[in-house]
Amino acid sequence: MEYFVSLLVMIGLYVTLSSSFNLIIGYGGLISIAHPVFFALGAYTTGVLSVNTSLHPLVTIAAGGAVAALASFMLSLPSLRISGDYLLITSIGFQLGVIEIIKNLDFVGGASGLSGIPNIVETHRSLKFALALLLLAAAVVLFVRKLTRGPYGRAIRAMRDDELAFSALGRNAMNIKIAIFALGSGIAGVAGGLYAYYYQYLTPDQFEILQSAMILTMVVVGGMGSVFGPTVGAVLLIALPEAITFLNLPAEVMGPLRGIIFTALVIVFLFLRPQGLVAPRVAGEAQ
Amino acid sequence: MFDTSILLQILWTGIATATYGVLLAAAFSLVLKVVKVWNFAQAGMMGIAYYTLYVCLQKAALPAALALGIAVLVTIGAALLIDTLGLRTFRRRKSPSLTYFIFTLLLSELVQYVLAMIFGTEPVSLAATVGSASTMIAGVIVSRWDVTAMLSTLACLAVLYVVLRRTRYGKHMTAVADNPELSQLYGMSVARIYALTFALAALLVVAAMYLFGTRASMVPETPLRMMLAAVIAALLGGMDNLIGAALAALFLSLLQSFSVLFIPSAWQGLILYALLFITILFFPRGVKLPRRNARRKPAAAAAPSTA
Amino acid sequence: MNTVLSIEKLNKRFGGVVVADNIDLQLGAGEVVGLIGPNGAGKTTLFNLISGVVPADAGRISLAGKRLDTLPVYRRARHGVARTWQHMRLFQSMSVLDNLLVAGSQYPGESFWRLIVAASAVKAAETHNRDKAHAILSRMGLAALANANVADITFGQQKLIGLARALMSDSPLLLLDEPMAGVEGSAYDTMRKIVAEEAATGRAICVVEHNVSFIRALCTSAIFMVRGRIVERGGVEALLESRALAELYFGK
Repeated sequence: MEYFVSLLVMIGLYVTLSSSFNLIIGYGGLISIAHPVFFALGAYTTGVLSVNTSLHPLVTIAAGGAVAALASFMLSLPSLRISGDYLLITSIGFQLGVIEIIKNLDFVGGASGLSGIPNIVETHRSLKFALALLLLAAAVVLFVRKLTRGPYGRAIRAMRDDELAFSALGRNAMNIKIAIFALGSGIAGVAGGLYAYYYQYLTPDQFEILQSAMILTMVVVGGMGSVFGPTVGAVLLIALPEAITFLNLPAEVMGPLRGIIFTALVIVFLFLRPQGLVAPRVAGEAQ
Repeated sequence: MFDTSILLQILWTGIATATYGVLLAAAFSLVLKVVKVWNFAQAGMMGIAYYTLYVCLQKAALPAALALGIAVLVTIGAALLIDTLGLRTFRRRKSPSLTYFIFTLLLSELVQYVLAMIFGTEPVSLAATVGSASTMIAGVIVSRWDVTAMLSTLACLAVLYVVLRRTRYGKHMTAVADNPELSQLYGMSVARIYALTFALAALLVVAAMYLFGTRASMVPETPLRMMLAAVIAALLGGMDNLIGAALAALFLSLLQSFSVLFIPSAWQGLILYALLFITILFFPRGVKLPRRNARRKPAAAAAPSTA
Repeated sequence: MNTVLSIEKLNKRFGGVVVADNIDLQLGAGEVVGLIGPNGAGKTTLFNLISGVVPADAGRISLAGKRLDTLPVYRRARHGVARTWQHMRLFQSMSVLDNLLVAGSQYPGESFWRLIVAASAVKAAETHNRDKAHAILSRMGLAALANANVADITFGQQKLIGLARALMSDSPLLLLDEPMAGVEGSAYDTMRKIVAEEAATGRAICVVEHNVSFIRALCTSAIFMVRGRIVERGGVEALLESRALAELYFGK
């Protein structure tokens, strides 16, 4: 039972992460691999605040989201000023660089990690966290749905179709991209805050490139640019590795094996079904 | 402030350790220039080359020449697979650039995980012993490896130059880099040129990994980090400028070497990332060296139509 | 007559080619100016310079007294430059109606903040835009196409939608880039009618066209451009009968 509940925690977490990443890459068309780093920034902000201050968890988690969203400007503003392709490169540098910084910063615990995050739930810990994360996931998915069906979704689609024509209609495409990036990253930051309270211990390794591959896989396999695709992808990709843990392989094999499954799956889908499992809605039906 | 011999030592060793970075930057830049693809799968190629060399040299105890030959064949094979099976499909489908990025990056990660599964995560080196024979010249320690590295890098670059400028295929590569459609009309097989480009890049990769492995050791995730330096070098050098990329790689490496004088070692790893940001912010189109022809197509939103 | 568009000494070259050579131009409300000339004369380039797609090398562009040439594309559009494109540039993944709705001049729905706090304003703007879009479509006789995907309608209909999109913003300046090219039959008549109606409402319109009867029927004056330079300007008939023009178009 406990095992099942911890699985729900993971599902809630990754549905949130993949849906927010989908907002950035699937809807906004912004190619970035830096999602885990905003997750990390949210987690570490919340962690540091909770260890060093007595602020209420809701405040620290909100702070985590805010820091992540603000940090996203550091990445999006200089890169998008030039072109979308640059965002890709800078996101790689940003992801690797910030994790490197965290490893070297003493007040966040450095490479050995940040521990001592207080427990904020006395009873039925896993259950309550699972509920919180699932609620967050549901909220995010519904928010994305509402956003993309209304005038905002229309604007995003027009921007993706023909950015120049869109600009000539008086729209600031750059602002929309930066806003989407900040929104998606902020959501990841909030998820990070909850994550910090759940695990109570953070290390930089938890936010490395493997995370990028996982989240990207969920989005690509689930279906980029569709509302429920990332959810499908997240559930599938949490369940799948759990199935192979039953094979009881040694740890040194398990880690790489999970990585192999994720990456191979994306590559297979890229060839056989690039639109993912849940194809995006056909335009024109939205209204 | 600093002892001259220390500075000279850092300079010498810096140049020596820049060698494999230069070759890797040249390989990355070559594919970018001709095939117009950010080949993040190069990290995968690097991993394959390295561990093939490792198996040949350490496990099978083959002589270096044979090991290199096998590694070259294997890496070229892998590179060609990437191009013909992978990239060609996406070219045919006219996939968006996102697809290329995901494919090449994840391919490298897949290779990384497979290698981790087979070889574990302990560092492995290609050399039997750490360090090689060395002598002292003018207060500077000069090792045999240093000299080998510099000479072979220069040789590789020279061969690359000759191939690109003097041979028929090389000129075709430049033509395809400028205008693939026109080149096709002139009878050049663009597919074959792409394959050749990847093969050349594979050669450079094998050379670079051999040099690296005979000096240091590596784990499966090292290539991805090394490749980032190649990416920055390609950006700094201007994206279709091989000489620029090579020089940028040299500069980056020297910068990292000299930084020990100023920065605590803990922060050294960050230089690369800081440089990436500086590059994007101030030199998005590469540092402008005087070039024979300025045929860069900027990432502009629209080309003006004629009327 | 109040000047809507004012261009002074506009210059632009691409490499060695001069595409705008000391262009001076004034356009007043209600004027319809035809821009004619052989291909490569720089007509669309002029539109690109005005709308901001291409930055000028030198010169001033002002719209109703406000300087445009330092502004990016989207700001110029907000100030009142609306245009159509030679290749239409409709939003291919969307329906006809959506293409028009995106072009509305009020879009509070595109701000997160206002989506949350001013939901009623968003709804009001949406309704307003919708009504306007339907009105324009009805004027064009295309009301039935509202929910069709733009990729599925005919070429002539696409061109009309391109024009409709430009009309959604009620901009004082309208730049039409070859609106008649490839259009015939009822679409052609509709196009003529709409442009005439818009001119009557006081918009300043500049049209790049090769279609002589269109220019004759609708333009109040004409400008003749060759190789980036304004060679002649004046009344439509006088210009059309000009020998220089005939020579340039047809050779001696």
